[in-house]
Amino acid sequence: MKVLLVAEKPGLLPELAGFLKDLGSKLGGVEAIAFTAAPSLDEAKKFTTYGFAKSYVAVAEQAFPDQLAKAVVEIIDKEGPDLVVGVATKMGNEVVARIAGAKGMPMFTEIVDVEAGDGAVLFHRAVLGGRAISVLKPALPAAATIPARKYEAPQPGEPGEVVEVKLPPSALSLVKVEKKEKGGINIEEAEIVVGVGRGFRKKEDLAMAEELANLLGGAVGCSRPIAADYHWLPEDAWIGISGKKIRPKLYIAIGISGAPQHMSAVMDAKVIVAVNKDKNAPVFQYTDYGVVADLYQFLPVFIQKLKEKLGG
Amino acid sequence: MNVAVFVKASLDPNMLRVDSSGKILVEDIPLAISEYDRNAVEEAIRIKEKHGGKVVAFSVLTWGPLQKRVREAEQVLREALAMGADEAYLLVDEALIPGNPYTTAEALAAMVRKVGQFDLYLTGEGSMDTLSFQVAARLGEALGIPAVSYARAIEVADGKARVTRDLEEHLETVEVSLPAVISVTGEINKPRLPTLLQIRRAFAKPLNKLSLADVGYTPPSGVVEIRDLKLLAVSRKNIMVEGSSLEEIASKLVDLLVKEGIVK
Repeated sequence: MKVLLVAEKPGLLPELAGFLKDLGSKLGGVEAIAFTAAPSLDEAKKFTTYGFAKSYVAVAEQAFPDQLAKAVVEIIDKEGPDLVVGVATKMGNEVVARIAGAKGMPMFTEIVDVEAGDGAVLFHRAVLGGRAISVLKPALPAAATIPARKYEAPQPGEPGEVVEVKLPPSALSLVKVEKKEKGGINIEEAEIVVGVGRGFRKKEDLAMAEELANLLGGAVGCSRPIAADYHWLPEDAWIGISGKKIRPKLYIAIGISGAPQHMSAVMDAKVIVAVNKDKNAPVFQYTDYGVVADLYQFLPVFIQKLKEKLGG
Repeated sequence: MNVAVFVKASLDPNMLRVDSSGKILVEDIPLAISEYDRNAVEEAIRIKEKHGGKVVAFSVLTWGPLQKRVREAEQVLREALAMGADEAYLLVDEALIPGNPYTTAEALAAMVRKVGQFDLYLTGEGSMDTLSFQVAARLGEALGIPAVSYARAIEVADGKARVTRDLEEHLETVEVSLPAVISVTGEINKPRLPTLLQIRRAFAKPLNKLSLADVGYTPPSGVVEIRDLKLLAVSRKNIMVEGSSLEEIASKLVDLLVKEGIVK
């Protein structure tokens, strides 16, 4: 099977190589070629050392999805891959969807697993708000994206052949770019995340959650209304389908009802704890340890007990 | 300014039905207008209110059984009509069920080509049941026009749209010539709730049903086969930590976290 990896920036190639290794072990070997865009060839070459037979590099400071997709379509016409695989960033999903659209291929967004054998593949996707798994068999050639930061980079090997390609013009023109407001700690990297929801009555009360997170060496994240409606926390703290996906060792959901859109983004947490005063809150379906209590009464006690434990 | 808006009659993820083995009973889950498509309808109506023109809603039925679902899909389009769309088209055909983003987008493009040209094509960034985030990009390819995804603001002027794309780390504002396809996020607006009167009036608005033969599209068969659809086996412990006082509960929880190796 021949696989084309599509990385809108070279830093995504290592994790795509990690996926490739997994796929290769299931299929008994795969042939891989790669595409990426980078400000310089040298920048790209740092990331093309994972045994790709060939790496196509578009040299550009900045690129839009339509340009990247057009460039990849030309490579597909030349190379004829059976699978086109990108990373499920917003940009990656859009680029691969355009490629799939242009080439008339099915595409499987953010696959959580792949079964493979006898030259065929089955993709697993999380659907219905992350509560169900759909197992899908595509006609090949097909396209897919893998979850960001899921696959570990394999050991780098020999640098393969690198071929520079030109980017066609875009239909879009850039007006401006604004950085999103940043919170203190990146919740995607934190090992412990304290999630706050509408159970908190005012912004100042979030200090309790901050204290808990500090005690545990973690970060504070939130459900949609806290970031999008109340603006109590910056948007990069928002956990959910439209926000961030996290996979910490511990997620503590406090005053969060447990909408599927939120919970699907924390499914990969090793341990989930929930505190909610409503014993029927959906959040308890997804938790390892649930506490039915008013957060305003429980948190101070819990913080005190933790301090005693950590201090002793 | 004529706007086409694409809405999906999605399985409602909040109304899952499952059998004892964990198999999802797709046929028993109600369909509802997909969350972000509602934002797309709202945006289309706001653009019409500002610039004039009309709003036409399009949908393809992607979940069976067809007979039972047609009415639910019509209901979804009536909702768009009640919000302020002027006309609606529904494409129903066994060959499109169960749907996938590839054949759905091609079918939507075929509908549009049949019905007429628009200045702007809007849809939600993804559907609430399958969240594939593909249809806008695919429509751009199928219609041969620019596509811009993840809009949280759209301004239309002088045959162009200025769109703010919501990406992970930044907001990127771009300009694109119309016609174009734009997908919107849930943050772009707050969709209006139609009044009873508007809901009643929606029944007088044209809701046209089409088949694949009407639009001249033959989907390839066997592109995607659904082998299984089952409840995610949540391997959670589901332990409720209880006690006679909050102190006791808190102590137990701390001990559990120590046992998990998280609190050291």
